Amino acid sequence: MNLKDFFNAERKRVFEPDAFFAQRVIARVNERLDAARVQDLGFWDIIPSSTRPVLAIALMLILCFVAAEMFVPQMPQSGMVESFLAPEQSPAESFLYNDTDVPSQDVLQQLIAPEEQ
Amino acid sequence: MEFDRELIVRAQSGDRSAHEAIVNQFSAMVFRLISRFFRTREDVEDIAQDVFLKLFARIGQVRPDENFPGWLARVTVNTCYDELRKTRRRKEAMETYGPEMVGEQTVAPREPDSLGKARLALQRLDPKLRIPLVLKEVEEMSVEEIAKTMGLTQTNVKVRLFRARKKLQSMLGGTEEHSK
Repeated sequence: MNLKDFFNAERKRVFEPDAFFAQRVIARVNERLDAARVQDLGFWDIIPSSTRPVLAIALMLILCFVAAEMFVPQMPQSGMVESFLAPEQSPAESFLYNDTDVPSQDVLQQLIAPEEQ
Repeated sequence: MEFDRELIVRAQSGDRSAHEAIVNQFSAMVFRLISRFFRTREDVEDIAQDVFLKLFARIGQVRPDENFPGWLARVTVNTCYDELRKTRRRKEAMETYGPEMVGEQTVAPREPDSLGKARLALQRLDPKLRIPLVLKEVEEMSVEEIAKTMGLTQTNVKVRLFRARKKLQSMLGGTEEHSK
């Protein structure tokens, strides 16, 4: 047998589609379209309709809380006048921490020396 | 092949009945082309389904006035080419990594007859050479048609046909007379 006979034999070997082939293809096309549609869905489409109002209220409350935290100023523990009148430091502490008018070592020595004499 | 161009327009607008009509009208052609390269009904059907899925995914790119059957033949041949390459790669991997399986055969393989030998030789041909040869010799397409279907130049097709015949002859021991 030569190649020509082989090719002739190959020509006769053909599969035919069955009666339901078109339906199977359309079913796969629909399946693919449904999958594509699921990918295109937004946030609210994925959540079941029964859960949506609850979730919406929860989200609203969270947003209100965040807004209140951001925009409403916080009341300080004591007012300006009160904090001025009632300082946290005692006068002795204040002298220790805040007195910057400390004389130099030489001046101190001069001041201390007459007392020792 | 005669076909209703209105079908394409309807299919592009998403008409399911038009999709079904296209499948009914062209499935025989697609099956015939795929049968040239694959030997089991399951393979042919799977690839034919893939071809139609590709077609409907790209239906928007089809111009109703262009040669739709030619375009579909091109999609079909390209799908077959991809599948043949995948099969070839799998086979090569099996031959490389699965020699034990070959060694475990207990029954000696039957010596193939001359038709079987020719079939085996054709299967072993690189898809790049096999496809134009089959389209020419079995589908009886012209070089111009093969070039259009495969997206190649006519010179390129002629070169591939020459190489395919030469390779096939050498595989069959150089004794076979090849067709003109």
